[in-house]
Amino acid sequence: MVMALDALSDVPDEALLIAYGNGDRDAARALTLRLTPRVLGYAARVLSDRAEAEDVAQEAMLRLWRQAPKWRQGEAKVTTWLYRVVANLCTDRLRKARGQDLESVPEPEDDAPGAEAGLQQAARAQALEDALRALPDRQRQAVILRHLEGFTNPEIAEVMDIGVEAVESLTARGKRALAASLGGRRAELGYEDG
Amino acid sequence: MADKAEMTPLGEDDLDALFNAARARPAEPSVALYERVLADAEAAMPAPAARPAHRRGLAARLLSQVGGWPAATGLAAAAAIGVYIGMAAPSAVETMSGGYVASTSGYGMEDLMVSYAGLMGSGG
Repeated sequence: MVMALDALSDVPDEALLIAYGNGDRDAARALTLRLTPRVLGYAARVLSDRAEAEDVAQEAMLRLWRQAPKWRQGEAKVTTWLYRVVANLCTDRLRKARGQDLESVPEPEDDAPGAEAGLQQAARAQALEDALRALPDRQRQAVILRHLEGFTNPEIAEVMDIGVEAVESLTARGKRALAASLGGRRAELGYEDG
Repeated sequence: MADKAEMTPLGEDDLDALFNAARARPAEPSVALYERVLADAEAAMPAPAARPAHRRGLAARLLSQVGGWPAATGLAAAAAIGVYIGMAAPSAVETMSGGYVASTSGYGMEDLMVSYAGLMGSGG
């Protein structure tokens, strides 16, 4: 399996998806290992709930498997299509959660202390995730896609089903809000002065 | 005064450092999640390109050599008609063939047949 996956590491997502659609199990394994961490990471940041994010990741991957036989080559990027599914699933869950209990968002887990050098990095990452959680849903999604997932603005527009200008507006407002809320944690994050 | 400093928004570089720190901590799916995703992939996997489930028998392969069932029914019909003509010997056929041979060679039909009596005589 390791050799087969090594051999597939340079194969584009779309080629693997088509191979899976033709019954190739190695392609399924390669896509699972490549895409599951990405969709899980995105969903976890948007939802701030690991268990919910795992469910979303599994559901999104299942939809990808079902789409494989119908996949039309060159029409869309696999990751853009998949993130769009994740974004919609997350939006549905956030709407439902909002209807239930706003205070039930779980507190971030305390990571076990790691190496000294990694502590500040972990603290910074955690602080960012806390601040992201306070953003409105659409701003949070746009900022995550742009600055953590590395998507371009036109790709984000496709994922979120909005215009490029709306993406620019959302990411700009989101970043301003993050900068403002994190300004109060400057010392904690190792930024001694402004 | 310290409060005022703390309320100053983070600069672009500081914010980028936070994004870098978060990117350095990618989500690690659990083994259970990988297994669930792979199980779904297995269950949803389309069947590979169709192949015959088993080899065809000798009769089927011979049949395919002569053109399949339509050709075989034609051959059977022709054979049946041949047997019928041989057995029934309709007068039209006998007249035509007999007349033709007689008029062109001057020999009777029996002259064209192998003479087993001659063979037996020469051997003994």
